[in-house]
Amino acid sequence: MAATEARVARGSAGDGLVALAKGLTKRYPPAVTALTEVSFAVRPGEFVAVLGPSGAGKTTLFRCLTGLPRPDGGTVSISGRDIWESPRELSSARRALALIFQQFNLIRRLSALENVLVGRLAHVPTWRVVLRRFTRADRQLALRCLDTVGLVDRAYTRADELSGGQQQRVAIARALAQDAKIILADEPVASLDPESSATVLESLRSAVSTGVAVVASLHQVHLARAYADRIIALRDGRIVADAPASRLDARSIELIYEKNGERSQA
Amino acid sequence: MATVAGGAGDYPERSRHRLRFVLILTLVAVFYSASWQLAQVDPPRLLVGLPKMAGWAAKAWPPATDELPVLLRRTAETIAMAAIGTTVAALLALPLCVLAARNVTPSMALYYPARWFLNALRGVDSFVFALLFVAAVGLGPFAGVLGIALHTWGSTAKLWAEAIENIPPGPLEAAAATGASRLKVVAYALFPDVAPSLVSVGLFWWEFNVRASTVLGVLGVVGVGGIGQELKNSMDLLLFPRLLTIILLILGTVTVIDHTSEWLRRKLE
Repeated sequence: MAATEARVARGSAGDGLVALAKGLTKRYPPAVTALTEVSFAVRPGEFVAVLGPSGAGKTTLFRCLTGLPRPDGGTVSISGRDIWESPRELSSARRALALIFQQFNLIRRLSALENVLVGRLAHVPTWRVVLRRFTRADRQLALRCLDTVGLVDRAYTRADELSGGQQQRVAIARALAQDAKIILADEPVASLDPESSATVLESLRSAVSTGVAVVASLHQVHLARAYADRIIALRDGRIVADAPASRLDARSIELIYEKNGERSQA
Repeated sequence: MATVAGGAGDYPERSRHRLRFVLILTLVAVFYSASWQLAQVDPPRLLVGLPKMAGWAAKAWPPATDELPVLLRRTAETIAMAAIGTTVAALLALPLCVLAARNVTPSMALYYPARWFLNALRGVDSFVFALLFVAAVGLGPFAGVLGIALHTWGSTAKLWAEAIENIPPGPLEAAAATGASRLKVVAYALFPDVAPSLVSVGLFWWEFNVRASTVLGVLGVVGVGGIGQELKNSMDLLLFPRLLTIILLILGTVTVIDHTSEWLRRKLE
């Protein structure tokens, strides 16, 4: 905890951090405090896994980072700017964030490429969107994003004809096409089989190699240790561990789950 | 006495149920006997009249073919009325169905007025609208087109709004989360998803309107023309072979259109 505070203290605005949470507190009246004084920072090109048993506050944390509910205390900064400073900051923060969902949320009847181009919608004029006339540059960018997740050969396949893992990788390509600084993935592999989970997490690693930061909640400890650079563990709405994945040994992670009366299945 | 107290407690409950049952039965009986009277239902008269109708049917054979070109033209008029009316309605319904769909409406302040407006359009039949439009554009198929367009506008937009409300919210949320405006999300993420059901609803109303515009003609008052008008004229003049030709033409048209739109809808799946 002290280490986190120190890191946060150094991470003031404009020093290259993509996301910074300071003292985040969120209450759901009357009795639930979902987050208590949560602070952490995310650097460009960093893959952060958030671990914790269900009910630990992972989803609330993700929602606060997107500015959906306003936290009761603390601040969220994206690229060094406080998202609650003004509505303009909030909407520019939202453009800098890309979301990955458990259920992929692709448009079923559109091709993989057209789904990736969803990431360009905010960048192009309305008439181009209505007529579906994207520039060559946008289409090439979308193809490169598909290439990053290893699906360029499925560019013209309809989304609903792809497997779950492939759909999630298209969603990652969509996030890359958005030109976001940070990808927030809430349980990206929770509804996938182990093999697909591995390819999806590899795609997230490829995304990270392009310089974007990834914050993903996972519920399998071994996946977090294999793919993330850093692990943040939440329990009862508090950060109980924040360390490089290599330095957090299996035992200390198991403690997080055990104390809560639950055992990790990993 | 004490031993049956529990049972006795049930009695008022049961007799209240029975009373309600008898009351409902009485009300239903009153409703149907009153309706029977008001509708002047008279089965004996049907029995006496049926042979007369059979006589007409016998006199109708063979169908008259001498006026076939005129009648085909009138049939085409009816189909055209339905096609233009339905298409205009669809174009008008497109923006309104977005306002009237709870999940994509820009604001509840637009949602409710849109719903009321559509319900009002839907509540008035094409025939009534056509009658009103005769005052504006005079007798002729155009009044029928306008009548069909207005009623279909309301009906189509309402069904389309329901189709939009039924699509999964996830892909729309994902598209909106990229920072894209609502118009972009609707145009890019929503329409591909709902297009098949929109087209299917549109085809259904075209089918329906071919029948409706036939009836507009039969009702005559409107003078909208089309095959329905010819049907009424032949009936009035007791030209049975001509009447039979017209009925066969209507049946043929409706069948072909039903099959075409069913085939189109299956292709869209």
